[in-house]
Amino acid sequence: MKKTTLRKAEPYVWILPSIILMVGMIVVPVITVFQMSMSEISRAGVIKGYNNFDNFRAIFKSATFWHTLQNTFVWTVVVVGLSTVLGFIIAMVLNQKFHGRKFVRAIVVFPWATSLIIQATIWKYIIDSQFGSLNVILKKLGIISQNINWTPSAAAYFAWECWIGIFVTIPFVTFCVLSGLQSIDDTYYEAAEIDGAGFWKKLTRITLPLLRPSLTVSTVLNIIYVFNSFPIIWTITKGDPADKTHTLATYIYKLSFFNGKAGQAAAVSVVGFVILCICAGVYMVLSLRAEKEEDK
Amino acid sequence: MNNSIRKHPWRRVFLYLFVFVLCIVILYPYFVMFTTAAKDRNEMYSLDMTVLPKEWKWSNFVEIWSAAPVLRYFLNSVLVSGGATIIAILCGIPAAYALSRMKFKGKSVFLGAVIMSQMFAPVVLLVGIYRLMMKISLVNNILGLILLNAAFNQAFAIWLLRGTFLSISPDMEQAAKIDGCNTVGSLIRVLIPMAAPGIVTTLIFVFINSWNEYTMALTLISTDVFKPITVGINVFYGLNMINWQYLFATSIFATIPVIILFLCIEKHLASGLTAGGVKG
Repeated sequence: MKKTTLRKAEPYVWILPSIILMVGMIVVPVITVFQMSMSEISRAGVIKGYNNFDNFRAIFKSATFWHTLQNTFVWTVVVVGLSTVLGFIIAMVLNQKFHGRKFVRAIVVFPWATSLIIQATIWKYIIDSQFGSLNVILKKLGIISQNINWTPSAAAYFAWECWIGIFVTIPFVTFCVLSGLQSIDDTYYEAAEIDGAGFWKKLTRITLPLLRPSLTVSTVLNIIYVFNSFPIIWTITKGDPADKTHTLATYIYKLSFFNGKAGQAAAVSVVGFVILCICAGVYMVLSLRAEKEEDK
Repeated sequence: MNNSIRKHPWRRVFLYLFVFVLCIVILYPYFVMFTTAAKDRNEMYSLDMTVLPKEWKWSNFVEIWSAAPVLRYFLNSVLVSGGATIIAILCGIPAAYALSRMKFKGKSVFLGAVIMSQMFAPVVLLVGIYRLMMKISLVNNILGLILLNAAFNQAFAIWLLRGTFLSISPDMEQAAKIDGCNTVGSLIRVLIPMAAPGIVTTLIFVFINSWNEYTMALTLISTDVFKPITVGINVFYGLNMINWQYLFATSIFATIPVIILFLCIEKHLASGLTAGGVKG
C-alpha cells in the first residue's frame, strides 16, 4: 500500500524543481502585476491598497495608451506577416540545390543568433541622418548627392523599427520552414509532375498543407516574441517623438521606470496579458490537438 | 521542383541573383559593424565620410578593454548565462524525464502550463519582477538574473529535452533496471549519455538566450560592476557623442562567439524544435 502511494508521488518529485522555479519567478510576478494594477501605489513604490480600478480608468482615458495599442497591433501584424512571407520565400529558394548552399544557410541564421540590442544599435547608426552608413554608401554610389533624413517623422521611425523587426524575425521563419521542407518526401512532387501539376498547384496542394505544422509553430511563437519585443524600439526611439512610437512593451517600461506610475504600468501589463492569453489559448488548443492526432 | 530548375537555365541565373542580394542585405549590418569598429574616432564625425576606414585602426579592439570595464561585463555575462543554463538544465532534465517516461495525473495540465509560460515574456511582467526582486533583495544582484533567465528558459528547455527523450526508445533503460539499476541510475547512466546531442543543444540554446537577454538586465542592474555586456555597452553612449567605434568593437566580441555556438547546434535545433513543437 505504502509502496504504491510512493510510486504515485514519484512523478511529482521529478517535476518539482521545475515547478518551484517557474512558480517563484513567473507566477509570483504575474500575481503581483494583477495586485498592483488594482492598487494605488506611491511614487516610492508602497502599495496603498485597492483603488477601485483607478489605474485602468487612467490608462483608458489616455490617448497615448490607445495610440500605443494601435501601434502594437500594426507592429505585430506587419512584422510577423511580412517576415513569415519573406522567410517562407527565402526558405523555398534555399531548399534548391546550388553552389554554396551550406554557406548561405549559415549566413541566414546570423540575425537570429545576434543580440537584438546589438542589431538595433547597428541600424540606429546606419540610418543616422548625419553620419549614418546608408547615406555614405548611397552618396559613394552616386545614387544621392545630399544626405537624406531617413527619419523625418514618428511614422518614419516606426517604419524603420518595423523593418528591423522583420530583418531579425525572418531567420526563425526560414529555419522552421526549411526543416519542414526537408521532411517532405520528393515522391509527392514527382507524382504531381507526372499528373501535370504546375508550380502553383504543387505549392498550394502539397507544400503548404504539409508545412502547416512548421508554419503554425513559427507564426505563434513569433506573435509572442514580436508582441513582447522591447530592445528594438527602446534603442531606436525610446517611444519618442512625443510617445508616438511606443508599443505596449516600451510603454510599460516608460510608465513604470521613468514616469513613476507603477500602478498604471501594471494595468497596461494586464491588458497585454489578456491579449497574450487569447494567443496562448489558441496555441494550446492547436498543439494539444496535434498531440492527439499524433497519439492516434 | 529541382527538375524544373534544371530545365530552365535562366531560373538558375535568377536563383543566384536572389541568393547574392540576400547575402548582401543580411551581411550589410555586420559589414557596417566591422568597418565602423576599425575607424578612427575623428573620422567618425568628419564631413568627408568613407565606407571603409581611411586608416584601419585595429587598436580600437585593444583600447575598449581599458576604456571601460568591458572585461567585467563579459565575466558577468558568462556568470549569468552559465548559471542560468546549469539551473535550467538541472530543473529541466527531471521534468522532461517525467513527461516522457511516466504517466501521472495532471500531466497534460503541467504540459499546458509549460507552453503557457512561454507567453509571459519578461517585459509584460517587468513591474512584478522588479517588485519581487526588491522583496527578496535580489535587485542589482547577478543571482537574481540567473534565476530569472533560468525560469524564462524552462519552457524551451523542457520542450527540447522532452522531444529528445521521446525520440529514444525506453528499452535500454528497462534493460538497465532489470540489471538492478534504479530510476535515477538508469537516467544518469543510460538515457543522458544517449540524449547527449539534444542536451548539448539545449545547453547552448539557453546559454545564447541568456547571453542576449537585455530587458531584465537593464531594469534590475544599475551598478556598473554587475552589468552584463548587453547593458554594459551603453557606457559608450557619451553625453554629447556616441563612441560608435568602441561600441561596435565591443559588440563584435559579444557577437562572434555566440554565432559560432549557434552554428554548432543549428542542425540539432531543427529536429528538436519541430519534434518538440509539432508533436506537442
